[in-house]
Amino acid sequence: MSERGAIREFLLAFADDEHLMGQQHTEWIGVAPFLEEDLAFSSIGQDELGHAAMLYELVLELDGIEPTDTAVDTLAFGRPSHDYRCCHLVEYETKDWAEALVRHWVYDAFEAMRWHLVTGTSMPKLAAIARKALREEVFHTRHADALLDRLLAAPEARSRLLAALDAVVPMVPGLCEGTAGEAVAVAEGAAAGPTAGLLEPLLVAIDRRFSAAGLDGRSVGSACVGGPSAGGAANGQRGRTSRSPDFEPLMARMREVLDYDSEAVW
Amino acid sequence: MHVYEVFIKKDGRDEFRHVGALEAATDELAVVLAREGYLRRAEGDRVWVVRRDHVVVADDDFVDPNADKPHRHHDGAAVADRRRASRQSQQ
Repeated sequence: MSERGAIREFLLAFADDEHLMGQQHTEWIGVAPFLEEDLAFSSIGQDELGHAAMLYELVLELDGIEPTDTAVDTLAFGRPSHDYRCCHLVEYETKDWAEALVRHWVYDAFEAMRWHLVTGTSMPKLAAIARKALREEVFHTRHADALLDRLLAAPEARSRLLAALDAVVPMVPGLCEGTAGEAVAVAEGAAAGPTAGLLEPLLVAIDRRFSAAGLDGRSVGSACVGGPSAGGAANGQRGRTSRSPDFEPLMARMREVLDYDSEAVW
Repeated sequence: MHVYEVFIKKDGRDEFRHVGALEAATDELAVVLAREGYLRRAEGDRVWVVRRDHVVVADDDFVDPNADKPHRHHDGAAVADRRRASRQSQQ
């Protein structure tokens, strides 16, 4: 794979994760547990969609395509599913708000680490996006932490959240899976290190977040990395080229209006 | 859940102004939700939230507004009236 191709894969995975995560968060508008949370969660989702749009523009520039709105939309919504590079965690259709909240915390903890990988990148535009995104991540993290601080202290909420954690954790290795040729992208200076290097610190962070509130001595890390199904979950993505069963329904929801009239001018 | 009153301000301009209220379970959540609910369009750069049950509220009839004490108003109307009357009496 060429240097340009390797960097493109790295950026595309980042953009696709942000895109799908943003979409999933915004779907809570109107149905989150209370009005203020509707607004906050979908506002956070919009931030993620903004990050995705900026990253897609970088991908288009690498492709030598002018990053118009139409070109960004085509890249974001118009690819065959095997050309997406998102991880299964952001494709996952959550069963309830507890899973959505746990995923929100886990994803944003990971996302902040991922932006830190590119703050010193050789690509000036990417560095600028990272600086902007990291300012927003402060609020995303505080939002998730504030909810968890309160809810993990309540017995019923805590048991729901720990059940949600059990559903989310097997997808964490996939979240930290890099793209093909990522070592080349790192060698080129696009990022300070491989995405896979974030798995260990992320598991430590998850343990720290949830152990104080009742993991009952269990370690998320050992359940995740040492468990028999964990390796399969990560490898099932095959360098982020495979889609989970939840991808197509999600993409159909995202494309619903577009598919009414794909030639419409907005 | 508690009701919080939300106040925002633009740096260097104006005083804190009341913009609405929200419900939140903790002070930290109130601050976070206030930012996303009332400041996501850059309406201001500082925020206060105050629990409504921490606001000291006087009885409804406590103030009993007194409109009959013009000497306490500083719009100069009383002085202007006297000066006008004085000018007219000298003519």
